[in-house]
Amino acid sequence: MSKVKSAKTKELSKKALEKQKNILESLKSHGAKIYDDLNSGQFPKFSIPSRSVSNIVYDKKLRQYILGTNAAIRSSRNSSQLRSFTQLMWLAFFANRLTQEKKSSTLRDVYYSSQAFAIDFEDQAESDNIIVDLEAVTSKPREDFHIFPEERSSIFGDLNIEYTIPGYEGKTMNLSNHPDGYSIGPSLTTAELVDTSAEIVIAIEKGGLFTRFVEEQVDKKFKSIIINTGGQAPRSTRTLLKRLHDEMKLPVIVLTDGDVYGEHIAMVIKSGSANAAHLRELTVPDAKWVGVWATDIEKYKLPTIPMTEADIKRCYDLQKDPRYEDGIWKKELDVFLRIKRKAELEAFSKYGLTNITDKYLPQKLELAKSL
Amino acid sequence: MSSIKEKFNQISPSEFFYSNRDLAGFSNPTRSLYTAVREFVENALDACDQKGILPDVHLSIKPVHPDKSDPQAYILTVKDNGPGVDAHHIPLAFGTVLYGSKFGLKQARGMFGLGATMAILYGQITTNKPVTVKSSSDGKIQNQFEILLDIQKNKPVILKHTTKEVSKKGLSVSICLEGDYSKAGAKIRDYVYETSLITPYASITFDDPKGEKFVHSRFVKDIPPPPTIIRPHPHGIDVERIRRMIVESQFDIPVIDDVMIEKVRKDLGLSKQNLAFTAIMSKAKKKWKTLSRQIRVVIALMSFLKMDFEKLSKIRIEDLDVPNKKLYYWDFGDSQSKSVDMDPESDYYKQLTNTVQGEPLTTFLTKRFQRIGPSTAVKFAEFAKFKPERRMGTLSNEELVHLSDSLQKFEDFMAPDSSCLAPLGESPLEKGIKKFFNPDFVAVIQRPASAYSGFPFIVEMGIAYGGDIKAGGPHVYRYANRIPLLYDEGSDVVVKVVKETDWGRYKVKGEPPFIIVSHICSTRIPYKTAGKENVADRQEIERELKLGLQYLSRKLAAFMSKKGQAEMAKKRANLYAKYIPLIAEFCTELAGKKSQPNFKKLLEEEFPADKNNSETDNNEAPLDDNEEQTEENEENE
Repeated sequence: MSKVKSAKTKELSKKALEKQKNILESLKSHGAKIYDDLNSGQFPKFSIPSRSVSNIVYDKKLRQYILGTNAAIRSSRNSSQLRSFTQLMWLAFFANRLTQEKKSSTLRDVYYSSQAFAIDFEDQAESDNIIVDLEAVTSKPREDFHIFPEERSSIFGDLNIEYTIPGYEGKTMNLSNHPDGYSIGPSLTTAELVDTSAEIVIAIEKGGLFTRFVEEQVDKKFKSIIINTGGQAPRSTRTLLKRLHDEMKLPVIVLTDGDVYGEHIAMVIKSGSANAAHLRELTVPDAKWVGVWATDIEKYKLPTIPMTEADIKRCYDLQKDPRYEDGIWKKELDVFLRIKRKAELEAFSKYGLTNITDKYLPQKLELAKSL
Repeated sequence: MSSIKEKFNQISPSEFFYSNRDLAGFSNPTRSLYTAVREFVENALDACDQKGILPDVHLSIKPVHPDKSDPQAYILTVKDNGPGVDAHHIPLAFGTVLYGSKFGLKQARGMFGLGATMAILYGQITTNKPVTVKSSSDGKIQNQFEILLDIQKNKPVILKHTTKEVSKKGLSVSICLEGDYSKAGAKIRDYVYETSLITPYASITFDDPKGEKFVHSRFVKDIPPPPTIIRPHPHGIDVERIRRMIVESQFDIPVIDDVMIEKVRKDLGLSKQNLAFTAIMSKAKKKWKTLSRQIRVVIALMSFLKMDFEKLSKIRIEDLDVPNKKLYYWDFGDSQSKSVDMDPESDYYKQLTNTVQGEPLTTFLTKRFQRIGPSTAVKFAEFAKFKPERRMGTLSNEELVHLSDSLQKFEDFMAPDSSCLAPLGESPLEKGIKKFFNPDFVAVIQRPASAYSGFPFIVEMGIAYGGDIKAGGPHVYRYANRIPLLYDEGSDVVVKVVKETDWGRYKVKGEPPFIIVSHICSTRIPYKTAGKENVADRQEIERELKLGLQYLSRKLAAFMSKKGQAEMAKKRANLYAKYIPLIAEFCTELAGKKSQPNFKKLLEEEFPADKNNSETDNNEAPLDDNEEQTEENEENE
């Protein structure tokens, strides 16, 4: 067993090293080009794929949004772009250091780090935006540059991992040892996934239900890994979901509140968001949304609250999204619009605190097989 | 009834002003001190202007008792290098109210010289001290008077009169008055400062009570051409004015006594010759053109009386009955009243009727008004339904009112003559603004003359930006007939026009350092109040101000956009100097190189040292002024 494991680890580590090398190569080639431009008396420039709405198209093959072919030139010759050019240049330089030294940092860290180099960002929003620019230029998610988001979601279940971050290399951990779950941060995202007894991943929208699921031993009863997405799933969580699906061959189901936002949380896990159209390694096209559906509200006689105007507007917006043109996505959206009411996951508590795990979940898991 | 009338008659102008001094700006010690300064300084400047003398004016204010606190008695002295006042005029000019020399119609700072007498009166009321006047009108002898004013009788009381030898012409007036310099000081200093801006050809010094000396030297050597006195425009007339003009145009029949006869003989060259009646007449006809009106009237009378000088000395003219064409006289020899008929066809008859009935309407109009020629006068007579030859002296009260109304209504008179105005001129105004504010930008304009209600006026304006000008503009400097207006800014037409301007349109934003100078010249400034501090918003004046300001604002906008471009270019260069080295630093490490790329070449090529100027000069920013241009066009039509 241990031999197999180590072999697998080695193979995975090699993969991780490869990835790091790719990133560094990519950054270096950009740097070299700019160096040469300056040396030959030219104003250096970046070509950045345009992220404007008109350049975001849905790719049916990939089943996600991708960027079209339009690209914007950010030139240091243009005085109104000079500042943001320099910021982007600095970020590439900073990402290079982070990746080489295997140090992780957050979006906020980046914002503050800039000040040490006389690069002034107006606010974090500006620096966040430049980070997305770098993602677009390199077509790599920021996590690859060791830049992680602030928000944390968590994971619980029988999954063995092996850390790759400096100081923990080779150390292993089982993710069912701590009942509050493990927060999904840089170390977990970059860890090697060694093995698991689970047969399914259940992503759930809310922390409260996550705790209930752990208490009710959903992980054991249904042989599952439970992930709390904390609302819209952060990119690190989506990366992890993808890896669980791709590397461990686990199906992924998503359980959300019974409203239009819940439906979209599931969709983003499945096929990404328009915001991340420039990235391609964040989606789990096979993920399934199992509830709470609009039709469930009637079927399970759940207590409801009326939809707000904003909720209704959101429904109409999503109707224009090609991903909502057919199947369950279209059907449920139509029902939401018809009944104009919504229900939260907690609504099941009306029928007893364990009703959701005892009755609803088994039915849905069964149903998921046929979806 | 008659007793009441008598009582009214006894109130002298001095008494009237004494009880209504608030009207003239003497309401409290602060305002009074300021007003007194103004009146004397303006009189001094007016006097010099009229004689084309470059004014040197010295103002001094000293406390009588230096250790007293305000309000207290001050000695106010204003000395000039003007023409001075003749010694025999001094008591009346400075010791009575309503004695002045400025009754003609032309632009001057003060109207009638009343203000100075008011100040003297105010000083006497508050301190019971006389006014001291030192004047030399010939540059050799100076007359010094100390005068008190008898308020009830409106007569001067001369306390002292001395003379001494001097070497310069000029006038110095010194009064003692109660004032409050601690409160009025700022305004007085502003007044002197702003006056010197609009009077760049004058030197004005001010010794203030605290021993400080403010010197404003002249920086323009040319006096703007002095205004000419002109006749009134028919649109600016009223019934009372017409009545007075008619009185001026009529003459009494002279008293024919021995003195008068002697004068006639002399003028005809017949002092020692006794000629017969017909010989006298033919002599007179030859000499007619050289004869004065009085002599002509006597000759005309003689023509009807058919008398020689001998006979003429024995009668007295009693009446001239124009409707019945009869001349009545008293014959001393026969001791009875007699009469002769007058021939209305005779030229002499015309001479006599002219004298007693005044001129015909058309003559009256063409001789006494501007902008009325013979054909306009006839057209007007038709318009007003008067006979052109109607004698002015025969008009009834109702007819006078009708004449006055018609003059206002008749629209074919040309716009008033502006030769009576004395604007400062664009060049001196610009020099003044440059000297006072050292600005980065200045533009001035003198609008063509215009008129409101028959009074001509000219608007001059200047605008300046940057330099020594404080932020928070526009600061408005208002002038009327070269007087700075300091009080009651809020309700002034200039301020209104400035406030209504959308400065954002002219690329002026935030708290800009800029000033606007406005100078309205007119024979009559339409002040809102008697205090002469704010100009009323007459439509015609407002329009001229607007057009002037629009012109200047466009100039300012062009400057601002140039300035903006220059600043942008500089900013841009700074930007590159800051960021390119950073880019070089980062890409060096990123590319894994040891030394930085040579980016200096890039910067030098892009930003040569003199780049900024050449780039900005050619670019005038396009401005969206359609609205204003149509207004200009209207004016041209």
